[in-house]
Amino acid sequence: MKVYFFATCLGSIAYSSACVNAIKLLQYAGFEVVFKKDQTCCGQPSYNSGYFEETRKVALYNMDLFNEDYPIVLPSGSCAGMMKHDYCELFEGHPEYQRAKEFSQRVFEVSEFLDLHSDIKLQDKGEPTRITWHSNCHALRVAKCIPSAKKLLRQLKNVTLVELEKEEECCGFGGTFSVKEPEISNAMVMEKVKDIQSRKVDYLVAGDGGCLLNISGKMQKMGLDIKSMHLYDFLAQRIGIN
Amino acid sequence: MKTFYHSTQEYQEIIQEKLTNKQLRENLKTAMDTLKNNRKNLINARYTKWSDLREEGRRVKLKALTHLDALLRRFEENATKNGIKVHWASDAKEANEIIYNLMQEKKVTSILKGKSMASEEIHLNAFLKQKGLDAIETDLGELIIQLIDETPVHIVVPAVHKNRYEIGEIFQEKLGASLESQPEKLNEIARKHLRKEFKTFKMGLTGANFAIADEGAIWLVENEGNGRMTSTACDIHVAICGIEKVVESFEDASILGTLLVPSATGAPITCYNNIITSPRKEGEKDGPREVHVILLDNNRSNMLNDRNFFKSLSCIRCGTCLNHCPVYDKIGGHAYLSTYPGPIGEVISPQLFGLNNCAPMLDLCSLCGRCSEVCPVKIPLAELIRDLRSEKVGQGYGKVLGYKKEVKNSIEQFLMSGFAKNATCGKKWRSVLWLAKNLGGMGKIFHRFIPILNKWTKYRNYPKIDANLHSEIKKLQGVIYE
Ligand code: SF4
Repeated sequence: MKVYFFATCLGSIAYSSACVNAIKLLQYAGFEVVFKKDQTCCGQPSYNSGYFEETRKVALYNMDLFNEDYPIVLPSGSCAGMMKHDYCELFEGHPEYQRAKEFSQRVFEVSEFLDLHSDIKLQDKGEPTRITWHSNCHALRVAKCIPSAKKLLRQLKNVTLVELEKEEECCGFGGTFSVKEPEISNAMVMEKVKDIQSRKVDYLVAGDGGCLLNISGKMQKMGLDIKSMHLYDFLAQRIGIN
Repeated sequence: MKTFYHSTQEYQEIIQEKLTNKQLRENLKTAMDTLKNNRKNLINARYTKWSDLREEGRRVKLKALTHLDALLRRFEENATKNGIKVHWASDAKEANEIIYNLMQEKKVTSILKGKSMASEEIHLNAFLKQKGLDAIETDLGELIIQLIDETPVHIVVPAVHKNRYEIGEIFQEKLGASLESQPEKLNEIARKHLRKEFKTFKMGLTGANFAIADEGAIWLVENEGNGRMTSTACDIHVAICGIEKVVESFEDASILGTLLVPSATGAPITCYNNIITSPRKEGEKDGPREVHVILLDNNRSNMLNDRNFFKSLSCIRCGTCLNHCPVYDKIGGHAYLSTYPGPIGEVISPQLFGLNNCAPMLDLCSLCGRCSEVCPVKIPLAELIRDLRSEKVGQGYGKVLGYKKEVKNSIEQFLMSGFAKNATCGKKWRSVLWLAKNLGGMGKIFHRFIPILNKWTKYRNYPKIDANLHSEIKKLQGVIYE
């Protein structure tokens, strides 16, 4: 079965290894991956700032680009939420509404897709390790794909997943929020990092580039030695396909 | 009443001030954590069908809002039959004047106040002060902040930013009490102070949680009993009630009441539910001899006319969206520079007081969506905040108050249209990636001087920019690159 892989803007700028590893996982689960070279961004930067007209243009572009009836799979719950849910909202009352609705039904976050549409078995080849997990807000509340990501992580027999006390609290990234309100954003990420530190883990794993950039950037600035990793880098490493 | 324009600069200053106030941060965090945990534990333990109840609550409010004029007329008719005097105030000024005229007519110079956000919204205390009249707050939280001349920091717990030691000091300084920090002792001081007020007062003012159209009654929910004293012990009771508070029946109101209390404090019920159906009747031993209800519009009917934003009139003021907001618990309510802070404040303040007056508050949100997740009547708060941003940049329906006066940010507009141009053309997008890859290294050196980037790197390390995905993909076996 063919699937479109949509790397998202952050994936192609700062997380190419996570994208490559996500593709390898999809292949490992038996899917054939199609990568459109003209792919861009889901449109969240303009959407969240209220620029709906610009965002509609980007959404229509994506609908035209991913035109075959393949599932569109992407390594970010936040962008999946945008394309699954927000696209429909964006076109409410517009002639393209039906099209957006149909399109949105083809969109899946990678772990969600693997969980729902494959019987992938992850053979953990790594040393025992303790990790914690950060849930991206949009993935949690809009795309609702977090349970799938955790299910995959729980397949790894040598990995102990210690949950954060405030897992569902925003890390303060929020796209442009982090640069529009840098001080508040910093106060938020500080709390997240404190929570992570209290778990005594080797890794922080997350499924979204934005949050990861934010949390790992803060941890590095503070000089902590907790490593952070994108979900797909982590999974691929554990099963030895990276 | 005049509204004040608040600039982005002003917002940034107060945010900075609040963020660096350690005591405030500590107090807020402790209080919000307690409120959140209590709510969660209660819902898990006692409400097996909480989500169904929320759906019911949403339905009840939306039903009421779609028939609001009819319900208000029915309320007026039934309340009048019951002997309640109903007044209509189209704005803050009218509401204040109604209260002022009543005071003149009854020859009272001071009133006792129960907790009411509507009275804050119209700046009643300041108005009365200007006229040389007094309003004495009787809610413990409101009393504390009145003593130090502050406004509520939260819509349910107005003095939540002060801990018990600070409150002890306030009582010592302002009431001449001995220095205490035990809650019971503090309560006692407040009670003693207020009891003497209750004895002599003729007129009390409260808010209203629900107005019930079928019965012409109002329902007050409170925890301390001061509301009851204010509404019952005085000869004249005045209730100020936003027009959106009216619902059809007691059944409807009780659904909302059942949602309100757990959401607000994490308690299953409150200590006091006061349902006022009429003034004191012949042979009754207590109750006010006169009851007045002021129905306050103050731009609410304008809100009702918008097919999207009218949903925010469903709010039952439980405050749980504030308690769960990761921004609110860092900066506190005063930093929003409006009567209504937090997520619901961001949605209703621009609509009540003008988008041009409080637009920067719309940035105080990371769109995490937690507020929408917890709101008992399912108001899509995060979505409405985003929609208001769209109004702010001139791409909405243009119905929000003060929309035309809001000055657009032309740099942002330029950046966004540039973004859309690049994101709708594969070739242009690849050149952006090329730039990111090649300038990435320079950014690493010069980030301190590059606006936006320096805001990021002030608190975080500069990110690793690889931007080489396309060449990696081409190397991958079995991928169709087309
Ligand atoms: S918006 Fe919802 S959560 Fe917030 S105060 Fe109103 S009812 Fe409560």
